[in-house]
Amino acid sequence: MAKSKNVAVNRRGFLKGAATAAAGAAAMASPLPSSEAAAAQQTGAASAAAAQVPAPSPVQLERDAGSARPPATAGNTRAAVRPGSDLMVQVLRDLGIEYVAANPGSSFEGLQESIINYGHPPNVKPEFITALHEESAVTMAHGYGKATGKPMCALLHGTIGIQHAAMSIYQAYYDKTPALLIAGRDLGFIAAHSANDMAGMVRSFTKWDATPKTLEESLIAIQRAYNEAISPPNGPTMVVIDIDLQKEEAGSLKVPAYRPPSISGVDPGTAREIAKGLVEAQNPRLNVGRLRTPEGVQLAVQLAELVGASTATSATQGPMSFPQRHPLSGPGANTTYDYTLGLEQGGGTVSLIGPSLSTLLSRDTTNIGFGGIAPGVSRAGGGGRGGRGGAATGRTIDVDAEASLPAIIDAVRSQMSPDKQRTIQDRSAKHAAANQTARVDALTRALEQRRAGWDASPVSTARIYAELWPLIMNEDWILASPSNFSGGHNSQLWDHNKPYSYLGGQGAGGMGYGAPACVGAALAAKERKQIVVNVQCDGDLNYAPGVLWTAQHHQLPMLTIMHNNRAWHQELMFVEYMCGVRGRGTDRGHIGTSLRDPFIDYRMMAAAYGMAGEGPITDPLKLAPAFKRGLASVKKGQPYMIDVITQPR
Amino acid sequence: MSTKSFSLMFASLTLVTGTAALAQAPAPTAKPVTTLTSPVTGNAVSGKKLYYDHACYSCHGFNGETGARAFVPNWPANLATERSFLAFLRGRANVAPVQPSTSMPNYPVESLSDAQAKDVYAYIRSFTSTPPPLEKIPTMTQILAAAQRPYKK
Repeated sequence: MAKSKNVAVNRRGFLKGAATAAAGAAAMASPLPSSEAAAAQQTGAASAAAAQVPAPSPVQLERDAGSARPPATAGNTRAAVRPGSDLMVQVLRDLGIEYVAANPGSSFEGLQESIINYGHPPNVKPEFITALHEESAVTMAHGYGKATGKPMCALLHGTIGIQHAAMSIYQAYYDKTPALLIAGRDLGFIAAHSANDMAGMVRSFTKWDATPKTLEESLIAIQRAYNEAISPPNGPTMVVIDIDLQKEEAGSLKVPAYRPPSISGVDPGTAREIAKGLVEAQNPRLNVGRLRTPEGVQLAVQLAELVGASTATSATQGPMSFPQRHPLSGPGANTTYDYTLGLEQGGGTVSLIGPSLSTLLSRDTTNIGFGGIAPGVSRAGGGGRGGRGGAATGRTIDVDAEASLPAIIDAVRSQMSPDKQRTIQDRSAKHAAANQTARVDALTRALEQRRAGWDASPVSTARIYAELWPLIMNEDWILASPSNFSGGHNSQLWDHNKPYSYLGGQGAGGMGYGAPACVGAALAAKERKQIVVNVQCDGDLNYAPGVLWTAQHHQLPMLTIMHNNRAWHQELMFVEYMCGVRGRGTDRGHIGTSLRDPFIDYRMMAAAYGMAGEGPITDPLKLAPAFKRGLASVKKGQPYMIDVITQPR
Repeated sequence: MSTKSFSLMFASLTLVTGTAALAQAPAPTAKPVTTLTSPVTGNAVSGKKLYYDHACYSCHGFNGETGARAFVPNWPANLATERSFLAFLRGRANVAPVQPSTSMPNYPVESLSDAQAKDVYAYIRSFTSTPPPLEKIPTMTQILAAAQRPYKK
């Protein structure tokens, strides 16, 4: 467990201390260096308490010294014939977990060994993904979850792993993204790595957690955690599993049968009422926000086409919404709507909005979510996180939209008549024509605006998005990096037609998200023959750049284009402003906000992690050829980085 | 690290309200103009260094064409003349609230002298905007052509 080598309470120090304690009086008599003796005197009570902690057993010491051997059993030299962790991995397989990301830790060594060795073939669905930081591991799960609507798993080592991961758990929680977290606990090892209630550290921003006491409970808890993660409001869940349970002989214990969650939709009467509103309206409309899964998106498309409704989409803001270029997507031929159905979006005649994070406030023991999720105090006006955007003009029903759609579609079909179908076909054709005209007009205006600085050096961010679009528009792509800091040009220049086209923002506005989220999306993309685009802010990458190694090691289809403005640019502007407000000049605003002296060479950084790439590029004419080379590499399963020196925004 | 909305903080250069200093300046034209002909007395070379040192580029881009507050080629009234520019910088020092709601940093004479401000103005005035027309940019014509194609599920 490499991570313990450099901490104050490290393995070597622990063993040394343990051996000293075990030696009893002889050790007590050993002379201490004066500073240690003084410290020991000053910590009297604590030392006394520590003395109560039982010394590790000889078996533990043997194991930690690397000389432990499995107990001899007749005809079998393995520690357990059927380790409990094998059953845990079987549960993950049955749940369809494709990947388990982790930075290795001894508290889940049993589980890790099972992932890489159990089954035929081993290390496949789930595959162990090597992360260089727990924050990266969980953010990978965050990106994967947004791209697929399904949880990915991350393993965390004890208290320290959970704390490393806390920021990314927080973001996934605010982003209502499913993730399955398993934290290992080893009560017999380093005390600082264990706690009675480890999940308590992140309880305020996880949806559910458990610390099972038996192997069977562990298996059930993993299944429950999965179900809780994918039930609205989606979010990260955690199971804390003791190392002993991972290593326990399972004997004849069977993996419990899995039962998927039952997610309630509208009742049949309400479904009929909504269907009637849509079918009888002269000009119905759908407002589609972020649904839970790609299946939900398909259902929304089905409903829109059935009733000929023009549709508003949030596909340019995040995943799992209505296809942006679908003929019905847009204002339509007539913008006077007489019945609007909101699907995870407010403002409709009827709006179906699933449970928000505020339903989890009883878990918010630290009140960390007070600014965003508590009812009535949201500064965001209730939009965004809770999914309640839009004016409250109609009736809001607190029910999951996606789970409601099948019943509504069935009710629409039962109320449909040939006459109405003809009317709907005619209306749909008019909407399609009007939306296409509006789309081309808007695109033309957007392109006109983005001519500004077209030939500028450093390169304009608009040109990055514009040059890239023709090269990927016929590919199956995912823009997995947030685009807000790089101008958000994709929202006007690109078509977001898949549930995963754009994965949106960080969740809680935390930095260090882009690259690991893209790696998570690229894990999903690899199996599905997709490519991931990562327009990567330089400041954001430097939080945990080791994730580039993960992308290379696992040969993920990820094209990284550096939006290298050599600063935490947002903060530079804030500090500049503050300097100005105080009238003290802005010429030192760069201190603490700029990444210069020296500039960071991202091409070299990528190379250090084994990733191909090029740059820095300052000439905009060199962009497209570089992008073509990068995409060619990515299509072969080799990630690629292009460092582009850009205008600030 | 904060990611609060930049748009809330950075109002347009033209939002400045009346102050004594500004009142002394010639009335700016009401609308942005695309060509400026007013005299320039500062040193653009010195102004370039000041533009970088004071990170003016952070909001206005390295050439005034990009960024949160681009001003080329549609020059706002505050940049119409050297005098209006100075009045704008000085006026800002008196009107900006502690809580950011408008955006342009304030530049009292203690932080940027008149001579320095004129140098910055001279550098800004050297900015030109000559992007090719849309139809001369193959990438853009390709994007527009693709938008005409039927939607494929």
